[in-house]
Amino acid sequence: MSSSWNIWSVPVVIISLIIIAPVLAIFYSAFLGDTSLWSHLFSTVLPRYTFNTLTLMFGVGSLSLFFGISSAWVVTRYNFPLKFLFEWALLLPAAVPAYIIAYTYTDIFEYAGPFQGMLRDIFGWSSANDYWFPNIRSMGGAILVMSSVLYPYIYLMTRASFLTIPASFYQTSQIHGRNTFWLVALPLARPGIVAGLALVLMETISDFGTVDYFALETLTLGVFNVWMGMNSLSGAAQISSVLFLIVVVLLTMEYLARRNQRFHEKSSGQNNLEEENISNFKKIECICICLLPIILGFIIPVSVLCNFVFSGFSIINFSEIIQTTVSSISLAFFGAIFVMGVSLLMIIVSSYKSNSFQKSIIFLASCGYAFPGTILAVGIVVFVGWLNDNIYFHFSYFAGGFLILIFAYTTRFLAVGNGAIRSGILRVHPNLMDANKTMGISFFIGIRKLIIPLIYTNILVGGILVFVDILKELPITLLLRPFNFETLATYVYQYASDELLEESSFAALIIILAGLGPVIFLSNTIKNISRKKESNIV
Amino acid sequence: MIKKYTLILLGFIILYSNNLISKEINIYSHRQPFLINPFLEAFTAETGIKTNIVYSKTGLAERLQAEGANSPADIILTVDIARLYIYRDKDLLASIDSPLLEANIPHYLRSEDNTWFGLSKRARVIVINKNKVNAEEIKRMEDLAHPKWKGKICSRPGSHVYNRALMASIIAANGEVEAEKWANGLVANLARRPQGNDRAQVKAIFEGQCDIAIINNYYFGKLKFSEDPKQREWVKNLKLIFPNQEVDDRGSHVNISGGGVVKFSKNKKEAIALLEYLTNKTAQQLYGEINFEYPVNPNVESSDELESWGVFREDKLPIINIAKLAPLAQKIIDRSGW
Repeated sequence: MSSSWNIWSVPVVIISLIIIAPVLAIFYSAFLGDTSLWSHLFSTVLPRYTFNTLTLMFGVGSLSLFFGISSAWVVTRYNFPLKFLFEWALLLPAAVPAYIIAYTYTDIFEYAGPFQGMLRDIFGWSSANDYWFPNIRSMGGAILVMSSVLYPYIYLMTRASFLTIPASFYQTSQIHGRNTFWLVALPLARPGIVAGLALVLMETISDFGTVDYFALETLTLGVFNVWMGMNSLSGAAQISSVLFLIVVVLLTMEYLARRNQRFHEKSSGQNNLEEENISNFKKIECICICLLPIILGFIIPVSVLCNFVFSGFSIINFSEIIQTTVSSISLAFFGAIFVMGVSLLMIIVSSYKSNSFQKSIIFLASCGYAFPGTILAVGIVVFVGWLNDNIYFHFSYFAGGFLILIFAYTTRFLAVGNGAIRSGILRVHPNLMDANKTMGISFFIGIRKLIIPLIYTNILVGGILVFVDILKELPITLLLRPFNFETLATYVYQYASDELLEESSFAALIIILAGLGPVIFLSNTIKNISRKKESNIV
Repeated sequence: MIKKYTLILLGFIILYSNNLISKEINIYSHRQPFLINPFLEAFTAETGIKTNIVYSKTGLAERLQAEGANSPADIILTVDIARLYIYRDKDLLASIDSPLLEANIPHYLRSEDNTWFGLSKRARVIVINKNKVNAEEIKRMEDLAHPKWKGKICSRPGSHVYNRALMASIIAANGEVEAEKWANGLVANLARRPQGNDRAQVKAIFEGQCDIAIINNYYFGKLKFSEDPKQREWVKNLKLIFPNQEVDDRGSHVNISGGGVVKFSKNKKEAIALLEYLTNKTAQQLYGEINFEYPVNPNVESSDELESWGVFREDKLPIINIAKLAPLAQKIIDRSGW
């Protein structure tokens, strides 16, 4: 394995540095600006913000793991009615933006909402003092709604891993009467699970929509209070660096955990494991496991939105929304292709052509995912402004242009692409590329003919996640877009931020619908390819 | 063949010259397009100047700063004086010379150096459930800190710009120490953790979670005339109190929406025309009709609907002080946990 500075690693390191630049720009303004606020922040709000952030991460992480792994396991392993439906329906919540689900849940579960109204009718209560009902605008509420839409990351990656574990492994454990789930599936699927969990946690940290709506004082909300309230971008950047620290710790733990382990398959035996037939009671159990997250993350918010569309039919501007849909989808499509191209290049070079220093730089390039979107957008603005001042680089051609949006999406969502591709590469045996070399075939051809076909599923998974992410993305698009340009997300936001939910409901539904197609397609591809691939390898 | 090319060339020339004739200005806006479009459409109809808009709640000042001299922006429009002042503070606004703006806007609602201008006013008021609270007992914003209101008050988080500006006005009136005592007293009286926007506070009064709330005056109008019959129901038992109206008191705190011309704008004349347009009689009345805001132009009367909620005296503190005290206000808000 060559691992020095070569024609592969040098450009990739440079690209990585460009992608990290906006993050560096945030640090630059953090430590250049006045640090006088630090002691105020430290003695008043910072401990509270940090505690709330960690609580939220722990809660969302645990609940998402529970939803994601349990559902992935039952649809992979057992045979029960409607399973073919659940396989892809479990991915549907991924298309629902967190800021939309927060609005819809509040609408249903608050005092004036239909749910409590129904309870009052049934039990004859007349006012809020007659009974106790948990407030949806709380830590618990935030954990519930965020887990309901974030678990698909874990479901997706875990299921892809479960499907590619050779059947012989399961059979061996069955012969010995051991627990297949705890002793085989879970440990072997760990890279996928951890990759999914990392994405969930980073989304949780950077979320602004839900915590703002629920008034939860997390670090991200604090960033905004300091930035807007004290007119101190440097104070905001300082809080962001606490966020960054948490992310680096997370990513390092993940890295250390898998460093000394190997997940690639030594043999690739027959993989078409027979699904287990189970008792009727267990079938119902399986159905419940699958149904719960789908109801929470999809059926509830979508019904609320549909209800809004019907009640606000006359005030919705349909033609404007259709136009917006076209521009939104094209932007997301090209964005996803670009991000995946960069991801693929980076992870392949990081795996086969880099030394550990280069690896860590490439690794860091994906940290933009954990920053609050607006702060990252400001980092991009500052970075490009710097280019503008120091190198001749006409900013106005770029800001307000689509190029800068694509660049911003790359900084933001590279982690999604990298996560998907890395978990694919980890399962490919390193011998393959060595064998390629002994045959005198060039690295490039080897990658194209061997590696890419083997990790094709992962590329697709990543690409679709990025597509859906860009479709939902709000703060960066809002700030960096050209004049008179709306995406579905910005369209929804301008109304929803004023609590005009009816005007925004149809566009919100379209975001979800536009994400559905790819998500369903994705589910089928994973299932087919992961099986076909295994039988083709040797 | 030659004829064909000539035609195409001619076509391009016409298209291009057309571009030159129709003037355009580019707007960075902190207000949602659907709120300002009625104004812009009227402006374009009258002047023929087209408008393009980017709306974002945050970060536009940073974008403008980074774009520097290359920025395509001509004008910024925003709500809240502190946000407006940030542009001035970063030296992003041009000092313009417009006798019309100076005549239409009272001096305490515009900058001394003619960089930013207030365009409409909104009052931060107290609303009560008139069946449960005696309106005579709340005369001043300061009264809300009295322990007798324990568990009765609802509010959105203190860190929101509207509350931060209110906090700043109290610092300006009573000093930092008294202001902090007030904040602590208010927080002790809250019925629930601060959450939601001003609309949600009115809803909470309707639901019986609290009896008193602090809101911006226009939410009252938006709810009263809401398309949603449920929301119209919320304001039925509501009474609006303009605080600090006693003879020797300072008057109610008001905040502004406003704007300014970008320092590096290439279309300053047209940008000034838009600002001037927004302070004329038609536009000033439109603020009241569309958004229940008060005109800044002293020669324009508030709408009848607004008048019917009560005539009030406003705090004439130069509004720039609110912006300058905002960071201190945020610190007090952080310490009191509002």
